[in-house]
Amino acid sequence: MAAYVLVAPASESEALAELAAAPEGTIAVLAGGSDLLLDLEEGLRAPRRVVSLRRLPWRRHRWLSGGLEIGSTEPLADLEADPELAARCPALAQAIAAVGSPALRRQATVGGNLGRAAPASDLIPVLLALDAEVELVSGSGTRSLGLDRFLRASRVTALAPTELIRSVRCPEVRTRSAYLWQRVRPSNDISQIGVAVAWSPGERRWRVSLGGSPPRPVLAEDAAAELAGPNPGETELARASERLAAHPALVTDRRASDEHRRRLAGTLLDRAVRATMAPGRPAP
Amino acid sequence: MSRAGRPDAETKLRGAVEFGTDLAVPGMRWGVLVLAPAAHGRIRRVDLSAARALPSVVAIGADDVGPLVGGAKGDPDRPPFPSREIVYRSQPIAAVAAPSLAAAREAAKAVRVEVDAEPAVADLERLFPEWPGPQARASPQVAAHVLAHRGNVDRALAEAETVVAETYRTAGIHQVALEPHACVAEVTGDRWTVRTSTQSPFGVREDVASILGIPEASIDVEGTWVGGGFGGKGASMLEPYALLLARAAGAPVRLALTYREEFLLGRSTLPAVVRLETGVRSGRIVARRVRLLLDVGTSLPGRDFATGYAIGFLLGPYRTDAFEVEGFAVRTNKPPFGPHRAPLAPQAAFVAESHLAAVARAVGQDPEAFRADHLWADGSTTPLGQRVGPFGLAAALAGARARAAAWRAELPAGHGVGIGLGFWSTGTGAGGEARLRLDDRELVVEQGEREIGSGSVLIGLAEVAARRTGLPRERIRVNYLGTATAPFDAGVFGSRTVGALGRAVDDAAGSLLADLGRRMGEVGPVTLALEGDGLVARGPGVTRPLAELLTPHERATGGLRAAGRHYGVAGEIDASRVVEGGFYAYHDFTGAAHVAEVDVDPSTGGVQVVRYAAFQDVGAVLDRPAAQAQVEGGVVMGLGTALTEEAVWSDDGRLTNPGLLDYRIPRMPDVPPIEVVFVEGYPGAGPFGAKGLGEPPIIPVPATVAAAIEDATGAHLTELPLSPERLARALKAGRPSRSADAARRR
Ligand SMILES: Cc1cc2nc3c(=O)[nH]c(=O)nc-3n(C[C@H](O)[C@H](O)[C@H](O)COP(=O)(O)OP(=O)(O)OC[C@H]3O[C@@H](n4cnc5c(N)ncnc54)[C@H](O)[C@@H]3O)c2cc1C
Repeated sequence: MAAYVLVAPASESEALAELAAAPEGTIAVLAGGSDLLLDLEEGLRAPRRVVSLRRLPWRRHRWLSGGLEIGSTEPLADLEADPELAARCPALAQAIAAVGSPALRRQATVGGNLGRAAPASDLIPVLLALDAEVELVSGSGTRSLGLDRFLRASRVTALAPTELIRSVRCPEVRTRSAYLWQRVRPSNDISQIGVAVAWSPGERRWRVSLGGSPPRPVLAEDAAAELAGPNPGETELARASERLAAHPALVTDRRASDEHRRRLAGTLLDRAVRATMAPGRPAP
Repeated sequence: MSRAGRPDAETKLRGAVEFGTDLAVPGMRWGVLVLAPAAHGRIRRVDLSAARALPSVVAIGADDVGPLVGGAKGDPDRPPFPSREIVYRSQPIAAVAAPSLAAAREAAKAVRVEVDAEPAVADLERLFPEWPGPQARASPQVAAHVLAHRGNVDRALAEAETVVAETYRTAGIHQVALEPHACVAEVTGDRWTVRTSTQSPFGVREDVASILGIPEASIDVEGTWVGGGFGGKGASMLEPYALLLARAAGAPVRLALTYREEFLLGRSTLPAVVRLETGVRSGRIVARRVRLLLDVGTSLPGRDFATGYAIGFLLGPYRTDAFEVEGFAVRTNKPPFGPHRAPLAPQAAFVAESHLAAVARAVGQDPEAFRADHLWADGSTTPLGQRVGPFGLAAALAGARARAAAWRAELPAGHGVGIGLGFWSTGTGAGGEARLRLDDRELVVEQGEREIGSGSVLIGLAEVAARRTGLPRERIRVNYLGTATAPFDAGVFGSRTVGALGRAVDDAAGSLLADLGRRMGEVGPVTLALEGDGLVARGPGVTRPLAELLTPHERATGGLRAAGRHYGVAGEIDASRVVEGGFYAYHDFTGAAHVAEVDVDPSTGGVQVVRYAAFQDVGAVLDRPAAQAQVEGGVVMGLGTALTEEAVWSDDGRLTNPGLLDYRIPRMPDVPPIEVVFVEGYPGAGPFGAKGLGEPPIIPVPATVAAAIEDATGAHLTELPLSPERLARALKAGRPSRSADAARRR
């Protein structure tokens, strides 16, 4: 690992000034470091300066009228500790619980997860199904991007070198939502596939997304359309599962064959939707 | 736990022990190996000049390893660096040392390597898609061929009522010791000294001498605490390079692998393909044919140990009339095959057990009853003519069947219960020596092995001394000495430490007590005891303080001494059955029967092991907590072999998963409750009837999990690991074929 200077600015403007001043490629942004430090260790990146976001006032989340705003640098463990999360956004609670280990979640952040934009992220499929907006800030102001547009390719996002992710906003609480995944080893492994489903009471439609298959998690509009109303029957479920299993995003890589992913996609969609309709669940 | 219970616990918990990776000495340089960029190729040039031009850097390659001491040359078959041909990717082709790790890595990058890549052989089935004919024995790709038989197998198979033929495949796996290989070397004058994390200091000394061509008498090897070995630290690996660098640098050199390098260079179990045919007549096995194609990487011809060793496990612990076993050790462009906790035995047990279950089903019998009917009896002989001796496997199986029945009586839907068997031979053949020193305060065991984590050295040897002398364990200390002063021992491997080195300790303790008996006037059998704060010797009717029994010279020089040795006899094999090749002669048999309950998700292929029980023949339990921990650890490690661990090579010989992200060992949430039941009363050759316990508990695990999955789903899997994708595919393929490529009935 090459030597670098670590700075931890106390304000947003100072942090942005750091980014603006550095020639491209010479500076890296550090949140929890669970991805970045491995890259540095392996020499995949060799910045001369590393800006830690630790001291910025972003390490918290807020329930808004009907929605949720998550500060980009809040550790996943803090979010997980909020009992409201499982009740209001069960899919997000399930996805967070699936990330790595308890020790990792003490470090890892939502901003880092989006910054990494890994194909197998467990958080991104859920945030897609929640129609999350990413709030970006730079010296020249703030902009908001739908997550689907923020994601470009495997580990590539719309983030400019001088920008930071400030927060992620889910416009609507979706109590009927679920996230299911499959891995070779259940604990602390990379998901071969992740399926998130969420019923939007405002828009009165389902959102379905797929993760785990490169290059990036995607929304599956076709499968969602098959589910139609809030309480899909067996026929709708079967058709939606079939649609998802045929999704072109399901490909072969070293973690799974497309054949296996298709099998899993259909099964997990079916289970996820049923989970949202289980007795005891709040009515849509 | 008391200090005597686990004497290393406190220092380890405090982080105070020095593992190989902790070593640091003043003025030390950091070494880095330069690794081959292709799996196979001709070396055109290895240019060290740019690296050497860097400040305070030394760089060495094939040209720098001439005669080192007294004109002798190293083993020409095992040069540290290749001069012409690269045979596996990541083979060390040069080495550098610099004042810092960063500078050494820079220097390694500055070494220019020009190689003409040639086609690599990474997959043994590409080389031999069919079973190789006899002419393959002459192929340069074959490192060894073994063949043994009894009776006329072809005729017996032809006359059988049912013949089941199957093919199995097993994956390459790594040891995954937490601590990578690491050492610090120094050369001063003609003394070559290396401190290293090893399972065998004397083995390293012998290896270094042979590789570098320097006399053993010039080499001192000192073992550090070992952060796990599992077979991977049984022979030398980094030591010759570190010594060469230290000599070139004129300073101590530290050489340690990164974890990625640990995967890339590590020598471990490689893939195997096994074809079996079994013939049954009137419900009895009448003929077995077993054919093993074993990937041995770049193991040298004549140096392959694995094929003749592993092949005996493939028949399982079962009787048969006619049999034929044949194996080819196939060379591929991978690092040489190396030992991994019971080399290939868990894979072989998986094959043997799953196959016999298929055979049982093909003849309409219960697989567990069928296996019980064919088990080697206590005191019988194996197909290769080896005496089984006291063998607790039938008793273990009876226990396992009772436990399985209890679990089945309350089995939830989607769950299954399976039983797997395995056997092992304690390596009591390899020799060892130990010394004892007794004063009026303590008994010290002086010996040449480092504790590798299992407790076999610090607990096992102390317990042997305690049982023989009568002293409580807290007054017995096991002391480690380097090769310069230690009595010889072969190494901590083969489950032999307590069985063989323990016998040497027992022998020394016997001499010590006899000596005291003479000093007490031949009063009869003598034991030691603690009275107040001092030690006493007791004979029938007499008790004497030790201080009184030692001579003034002994009192002044550390105490009364005694030496013991154990050079066991090798096992025997019926030579008339061997046609070609070296078969390992097992002896001192030990067995285990394990039970697993699994919860299978048939749609995803996900398997969760929900509970596990191990019935383990140990001869005699010397220390229950240590023995239990060994079994638990073996089971956990075996679960990885069974379900998730797989080294994956690309067609051009690149290991595609050299890290813990995609090489998946079990983590705590994956581990079920494990019940350990010891079967005693079938004594082994070790002290007090003990048998080895390092390897035996891993052996039945993959077979057991496979049997439980088959019980839950009907899927008969023939490939390790039993990954979710493989299982889901088998289940998707419709009613899984319960038995085999072909079951033929007449
Ligand atoms: C052992 C292990 C297991 C893991 N398991 C999982 C898993 O199960 N599921 C899963 O989804 N992920 C997993 N991960 C990946 C990782 O932990 C997550 O992606 C995590 O959320 C990253 O957060 P971080 O704060 O640690 O990111 P960092 O490493 O700090 O940053 C990651 C990237 O994002 C950038 N970045 C971070 N914050 C910002 C910001 N506010 N603005 C702009 N750019 C930013 C950084 O510059 C860097 O490029 C695992 C990682 C490890 C090491």
